[in-house]
Amino acid sequence: MNLLEVTNLSKQYGHDLLALQNISFSVQNGEFVAVIGPSGAGKSTLLRCINRMIDPTDGEVVFDGVQMSKLKKNELRMQRRKIGMIFQHYNLVSRLTVIENVLHGRLGYKSTFAGIVSHYGKDEKKQAFEIIEMLGLTEQVYKRCDQLSGGQKQRVGIARALIQNPRMMLCDEPIASLDPSASKVIMDYLRNISTKLGITCLVNLHQVDVALNYADRIIGVNKGKIVYDGPPNLTPEEVYMIYGSAAGDLIFDVGGQHAS
Amino acid sequence: MNYLDSLEALRTQFPSYKSGVTLHNYSIKKVTKASIVMRITLLSLVILTVYGFYTFDYKDIRIIDAITQALTTFKTMFTQPRFNHFNFGQGVYQVAVTLGLTFLTTLIGAFIALFLGLFAAQNLSSTVVSNAIKSFVAVIRAIDTVLWVLIFAVAAGLGSVAAVIGMTFHTIGYLIKAYSESFEELDPGVIEALRGSGANWWQIVFQAVIPSSATSLLSWTFMRFEINYAVAVAMGAAAGAGGIGFELFMAGNHYYDLREVGLITYFILSVAIVLELVSIRLKLRLNTH
Repeated sequence: MNLLEVTNLSKQYGHDLLALQNISFSVQNGEFVAVIGPSGAGKSTLLRCINRMIDPTDGEVVFDGVQMSKLKKNELRMQRRKIGMIFQHYNLVSRLTVIENVLHGRLGYKSTFAGIVSHYGKDEKKQAFEIIEMLGLTEQVYKRCDQLSGGQKQRVGIARALIQNPRMMLCDEPIASLDPSASKVIMDYLRNISTKLGITCLVNLHQVDVALNYADRIIGVNKGKIVYDGPPNLTPEEVYMIYGSAAGDLIFDVGGQHAS
Repeated sequence: MNYLDSLEALRTQFPSYKSGVTLHNYSIKKVTKASIVMRITLLSLVILTVYGFYTFDYKDIRIIDAITQALTTFKTMFTQPRFNHFNFGQGVYQVAVTLGLTFLTTLIGAFIALFLGLFAAQNLSSTVVSNAIKSFVAVIRAIDTVLWVLIFAVAAGLGSVAAVIGMTFHTIGYLIKAYSESFEELDPGVIEALRGSGANWWQIVFQAVIPSSATSLLSWTFMRFEINYAVAVAMGAAAGAGGIGFELFMAGNHYYDLREVGLITYFILSVAIVLELVSIRLKLRLNTH
């Protein structure tokens, strides 16, 4: 069965700005899907429509057998726990320590009061330390997040998502602010999470070469429409189609080099 | 090729390029209509001030004598401070009463403002609620603390009760604005991240919003504490709220004891300095924690 089923999804801002038009696709359990496309194509909107951080104007998202649009406030919270999210700017509480930020991923499982006073169970803390160790952050556990490097912050972001025990990860430009070596580390972790833990990953990317290297499948988005959906061996013509001819030779070089 | 030549070359190459500075006029300020109006305004104010002083009705006070006498008074006040109607212990007690009034009003005000500030912050609340609270609070702040005390004195009578209620009232108004603006500075991505993981509003507030803005909240609260200290001194005199302000009022208005007025001023000042030092220390500690 498909973990995620998106049908005829549309999002309209104001009167005439169509961010998404009739998007349909489905994602299987454990798949690693990269969404590529030019800036403003609607990649971020698409990702946020899946867990209803943005409410779609039209269409349906079925995640794990549940129709997302039908959910009430509390049911939506329950459903969101199964979806981890990773961001370009990490979105950590920079004044708190690594372990405190990681445990934030458990808030959805807690009562309001337990969440307010940071009362976490023994097994939750144990799991947090295990995930932190897995991501190589053991030395940083008690450091404040504003003292970390970009790559470390993103790993904290991944840890915070993993402790939710998610079925799926939505990653919005996870490596856009990182240098090449940190980018590789992060992408390797995400790939491992998908392969070893069987967590589905839906990753927005700007780097065509990275997408082609890591993903099982590529979804190309342009002007709010899916223009490519298939295996990661795009021809230069298909890269042109996704990015528009105006993007020029730069993308062609990058894409062509790795696609061959 | 020197600089001017290269600039000329640039101009011939790009005729559309227009520099704001012409080559033969090296004035640093540009003379505009606004600057001329500003100069005329300042000049006329100077003329009016001089004319005003010249045409004052000074009665039979001679200005030189008056200034000398004022200086003598100041000298007596601040170089010969002396206890007359109370001793050091009682002085400390009266300062403690004033500090108690300050502490109580700041604490109650901060507690209430913290919650209302959350609902007044645009990123945490609905636009309607936020605007309603903000405009209501703007009205409270528009009226001075002393006036609020006097307004509440109508119901509670002059004294400490009116002072506490009135001062708390204005403190709430002030701190709601300060707190809500601190909350609004929070990175919206952080809220999005926690909301996306299933956290609810109160959890987000206590786990992300308040930790992120803690330094700012503390520094605003201290700012208000200092303001409230000054107001509490004034309230002792104006509203009969007791404390060192009342002693100051008695020494000045009742006994006309300049030396004691000077002494009380030193008392008040030294406490204010200690408060300032404590607040600097606390902020440093919170920042480097």
